[in-house]
Amino acid sequence: MNNQLSAPEKELLRVEDVTRLYGERAGCLDVSLSLWPGEILGIVGESGSGKSTLLRCLAGIDPPTRGHIMFDSGKGLLDIYAVAEPDRRNMMRTAWGIVHQNPRDGLRMAISAGGNLAERLIDRGDRHYGRIREVARDWLQRVEIDPARMDDKPRAFSGGMQQRLQIARVLISEPRLVFMDEPTGGLDVSVQARLLDLLRVLVRDLGIAAIIVTHDLAVARLLTDRLLVMKEGRVVEHGLTDQVLDDPHHPYTQLLTSAVLAA
Amino acid sequence: MTVTIRVEQLTKQFVLHNQGGVALPVFRDLKFEVAAGEMLVLHGRSGVGKSSLLRMLFGNYKPSAGHIFIQHLGEMVDIASTAPRTLLEIRRKSIGFVSQFLRVIPRVTAVDVVRDRMLARGVDARLATERAQVMLERLNLPSRLWKLAPSTFSGGEQQRVNIARSFVDPAPILLLDEPTASLDPANRDVVIQLIHETRQAGHTLVGVFHDQGVREAVATRTLDLTHSDRAAR
Repeated sequence: MNNQLSAPEKELLRVEDVTRLYGERAGCLDVSLSLWPGEILGIVGESGSGKSTLLRCLAGIDPPTRGHIMFDSGKGLLDIYAVAEPDRRNMMRTAWGIVHQNPRDGLRMAISAGGNLAERLIDRGDRHYGRIREVARDWLQRVEIDPARMDDKPRAFSGGMQQRLQIARVLISEPRLVFMDEPTGGLDVSVQARLLDLLRVLVRDLGIAAIIVTHDLAVARLLTDRLLVMKEGRVVEHGLTDQVLDDPHHPYTQLLTSAVLAA
Repeated sequence: MTVTIRVEQLTKQFVLHNQGGVALPVFRDLKFEVAAGEMLVLHGRSGVGKSSLLRMLFGNYKPSAGHIFIQHLGEMVDIASTAPRTLLEIRRKSIGFVSQFLRVIPRVTAVDVVRDRMLARGVDARLATERAQVMLERLNLPSRLWKLAPSTFSGGEQQRVNIARSFVDPAPILLLDEPTASLDPANRDVVIQLIHETRQAGHTLVGVFHDQGVREAVATRTLDLTHSDRAAR
């Protein structure tokens, strides 16, 4: 690789030949990629292309059939499925976060908004009640939820507010890597735009890396630096997001980019 | 003068897989250099590949073959073969693309759009705001619009915001794709002046201009792309 000028910093995540089989059927096949700190990678493809399967493997939810996923949580690259279970759980709790498409999957619906945020801080080792409440209040403001709603339960919130709360719950522990599965999936277009801008600013200001699965090319263009295009479990094209979208080479990517209305 | 762009054996064709695999040749074996302090104007009839070439210099379109060396932190880096993240770094520091269209981001104000690049480069926020305002003023954007998001602006106003953001703290190499199209004469003259100033400050500029008057006012050299899709020259 002609990579002599890349910044000296190290990869945050390295994925080698990851394959996930479901019996005979392949979820994803021989996927390799690298992610550096602060970088946002998009994964696009139609439903059934394997993008969510890949995300589940990468996020530590579902082990791959073959291949390695290595993450640097400060001690060099370690295979996330080879480390002891408690270490992996600890890594998942503190070093990375997952934003689910459905906020109910990422929130504790029975506890208050403030409690949802406090829980992550307590997981991380914070014990000072006053400080926890102050940080939680600050985060509610950052995601544009009135701090007066701190003691309300998430089920009293609209879908867009629940999604913003979930994002705050993930980002509050300052993860190094965030996984997002269709983060704007079930939302109105106007709410989507607001959420996307919020995500863009937060990710840039915090310098965290993110992997975003989406089927929406406009979302990919707005949020991501690089793009992987998946079809039938395989990566068929990858590169800078604008390169892949503006000068697609693979027949499938050409079909995908010509099939959408201009955004 | 220092050469900052060097193009060698550049070949580009588009293959349309979903339209019977038809191949559209654009250039073959194109070769040229541009130096700091130059304003190279690309010339030729519509469809000859001027904008495609400009997009390739930015790494937006990928070459089918050949090399595009771009000066980055004192070294010539071939963006045709470099890693994507190196290209992102080159775009952050060394090369900028100015079109007539602003890619509007919801809810971001005009001043924030203009100062974004300066903030990313670590310029003090207050200084960045001042410089952004001076540039918007120069381009005759009414101050009542500065704190509003450009999504509601007219096409011409958005275009001037885009020009302001590109020239307020210009990259060492600037690629201009019809930046003056549809501007009124007064603002067109401001852009011509900005191009002169940027060039004289030692930046490298390459551009496509529809308007012959603008072309003649800004060009230090012209590259004619007519017949560049045929044999090597």
